[in-house]
Amino acid sequence: MQKTKSMLFHAQFLFTLLVCAFLIVPVVQSVVAGLTENFIMGVKSGLTLRWFVQVWSLYRDTIFLSILIALTCLAVTLILGVPAAYAMVKKQNRWTRLFEELLVTPLAVPGLAIALALIINYGGFTGFRTSWIFILVGHVIFTLPFMVRSVIAIMNSVSLKEFEEGAASLGAGFWQRFFQVVIPNALPGILAGSLMVFTLSIGEFNLTWMLHTPMTKTLPVGLADSYASMRLEIGSAYTIIFFLMIIPLLIAMQWVAKPRQREFVMEKSHAATGATVLRPIAAASCSPDQKEGGRKLSGTALRLVNCAKTFVDGTRALEPFNLKVEAGETVVILGPSGCGKTTLLRIIAGLESPDSDGRVYFGEDDVTDVPIEKRNVGMVFQSYALFPNMTVAENIAYGLKVRGIEAAPRHQRVSEMLDMMKIGQLQNRHIDQLSGGQKQRVALARAIAVRPKVLLLDEPLTALDAKLRDLLRVEIDSLLRSLGITAIYVTHDQSEAMALGDRIVVMNTARVAQVGSPREIYFEPQTRFVAEFIGTINRLKGRLQEDRLVFPGGSIPLPASSAVRAGENGNVELFFRPEHAALVEFGQGHLHATVVASFFMGDRTRVIIEGSSDDYLTIETKGIQSFKKGQRVEVAIDPGALLRLDS
Amino acid sequence: MQKRNNWLLLALFAPAFAVFVAFFLLPLARLAFASAMGPSGFKIYLAAITTPRYLETLVYTILLSAGVTLVTLVISGIVGVFLTRNEFRGKSLLVSMLTFPLAFPGVVVGFMIILLVGRQGLMGDITKLLTGEKLVLAYSMAGLFLGYLYFSIPRTITTIMASAEKIDRSLEEAARSLGASPWRVVKDVLIPALVPGLISSGAICFATSMGAFGTAFTLATNIDVLPILIYTEFTLIANIAMAAALSIVLGLITWMALSVARAAAGNSVAAAG
Repeated sequence: MQKTKSMLFHAQFLFTLLVCAFLIVPVVQSVVAGLTENFIMGVKSGLTLRWFVQVWSLYRDTIFLSILIALTCLAVTLILGVPAAYAMVKKQNRWTRLFEELLVTPLAVPGLAIALALIINYGGFTGFRTSWIFILVGHVIFTLPFMVRSVIAIMNSVSLKEFEEGAASLGAGFWQRFFQVVIPNALPGILAGSLMVFTLSIGEFNLTWMLHTPMTKTLPVGLADSYASMRLEIGSAYTIIFFLMIIPLLIAMQWVAKPRQREFVMEKSHAATGATVLRPIAAASCSPDQKEGGRKLSGTALRLVNCAKTFVDGTRALEPFNLKVEAGETVVILGPSGCGKTTLLRIIAGLESPDSDGRVYFGEDDVTDVPIEKRNVGMVFQSYALFPNMTVAENIAYGLKVRGIEAAPRHQRVSEMLDMMKIGQLQNRHIDQLSGGQKQRVALARAIAVRPKVLLLDEPLTALDAKLRDLLRVEIDSLLRSLGITAIYVTHDQSEAMALGDRIVVMNTARVAQVGSPREIYFEPQTRFVAEFIGTINRLKGRLQEDRLVFPGGSIPLPASSAVRAGENGNVELFFRPEHAALVEFGQGHLHATVVASFFMGDRTRVIIEGSSDDYLTIETKGIQSFKKGQRVEVAIDPGALLRLDS
Repeated sequence: MQKRNNWLLLALFAPAFAVFVAFFLLPLARLAFASAMGPSGFKIYLAAITTPRYLETLVYTILLSAGVTLVTLVISGIVGVFLTRNEFRGKSLLVSMLTFPLAFPGVVVGFMIILLVGRQGLMGDITKLLTGEKLVLAYSMAGLFLGYLYFSIPRTITTIMASAEKIDRSLEEAARSLGASPWRVVKDVLIPALVPGLISSGAICFATSMGAFGTAFTLATNIDVLPILIYTEFTLIANIAMAAALSIVLGLITWMALSVARAAAGNSVAAAG
């Protein structure tokens, strides 16, 4: 095995060397020919630079003109191509798609045909036809697609949309976003495109040969002339000059294409090391102006009236929605993915507008038509949307800078935030040098630094591992409480919702399922969806007989106060949570059942039983007892905890 | 807000679009128009593909380009996969040398071929030493073929290396864990995974070969290829209508090749160019 592999390796290696020889031998020949007295005699005839001197006197104009055209072509493609690429990434519509399609055609149409077309159309304008601008036009058409595609590729690969939304949430307008966020983050692609354009323009021949005039000869045209003159030494020396011009460009291209990564500071997910990497932020460590008086109401009340959202394709992302959030309140929007909760948050943020009759109020102000950058919100994105082109401190300062806050107070506020989040030691780091938990804190600091009216958090903990999530949940909770800021927190994690929310809005399929305090949601769910989404719930199917519920495995007396006693004697479905039942001694319970499975969870044991209902029931029990499959058990249920739910 | 942004985006987009329309679409439309303005009108296209001289050139060009594409794909496929799959000393130097000719214009490529297999070329010297007979290929179909290979190989190697790098190595490892021999792995995993890359780089190779002008121009071969024919029709015979018609035919062929490849390999063809 090893032997055949090494034979295969050597065969391929030899083949590769042969291919390389085919490509490089003539290059070496030309270098030798250009530097020796006599091409046929070779090195024996002696080395000389006289051919270079001759090339210089005969053809130096072509070199200058080529550089002039390549530089101008680069400038034009930058000015035209980069904004167009941005617009095409941002706005996907018929026109931009058509243009993207059209941009491929100069690659498909041979240069000769483009040149011919240009001559037929513009050849009559003699001044234009005989100037180098005419060649420039051809080069621009030929190279523009490369620039646009290179920039589009980079803009699609960095999460431009998130960065832009991040910048907008901090108050940056269109041009600020374009120049401070879009361009810096697209820089590698712009650079790669620039090198490509410059190299292509320097070496372009197909178009140029047709477009040139005796007064406007470029380097490749000169090369063709020198080859046609049949003086191999001069042709070779001229070719060496061309090589010398493109070699730095090729090296630069390889350098640009090489992926570079900054040193990444690993973060351990263990609680112990997690604590050293992330020093806990305490509620008391908040900035002085917000410390006193416990829960200070610094936020703004928020009101959504009739906010619906229908997407262009007709999908209803959100049914008409009404919500009132008190100043300083934390409201958690909870629901499964695709339920419309993110759309709701984006409507509040100003990243989406509600359908025409929906209104969004901050306090008494109708902000429905105010763009996000003017709303003064703070937003923490799921991916954090931290700007990779800025350091930690610059990220935090960005919103203040956009607001035109002067350097001194800006620095003060930034160091305040760094202290508050205990990330002072990270302030000069770049974003890709941060761990997930650290990014989270920077994102929070950046959002809070601008003293927003409303803080919006879009699943801010989803990207973190479980242990860190628990830690940061506690921190966010104490932070929100000490700041007293109005906060809307979107999550699909019920334990996050329970821990953080003053109120929870449970959503399902674009509608509100229930609004209430965590306790109300948990103990008094109004629908089966809510009951099942939050925690675990068991279903008992049976019949009401007098004041008892009777089902196959037993019966339960219903207390007089119970809501299920609607006086009917028909079939009913009742629900209860695992912790409202217990496994008891035989003869003391309400129903008999058989163990299907049991899961030891450490602090408790979860037992799945069957026999008293169509469904399995889940019971939780504390203590050290273990259970075997098939074991008979008896269960007592708290009758007061039985719920009746609409499906 | 949304409306204002749209206007701003339009303003960013419009200059490039305008330049593109003015200096590409409009002239190309004029070119198509000019082709039909000759004495024979649209029948000129019939003449372009039935006149023996034109037809012969067209067929030669297509055969040459297709042959070059095939050979290039085989060579670059082997070299490209080898280079992505193996690490050895001097690899980056080898890669730089293999991709150096990427930036050569066609005329320089022609000159390289003259140096290699021309009248005073290396191949001639070697063969004269060995057999006493000087082998000169540069000014025949073989010279063109070598020249086209010369500029196609570096481009194709880079795109194949890029797509080979994207292949999930665990696929190969999975195939081997299931007992596949090295050749089976190549046949069942590697080549299928490379197919989109091969199709797209092949299409670009074909299109560039069809339109290549500089190489043939420098070699001044005794066999005309389509771009040279267009050039002579336009500059020497001043048959503008025929030159335009042939350009349109050439453009259509390359455009069709790229479109077919794009349909077959997904959207990556143009991006790879």
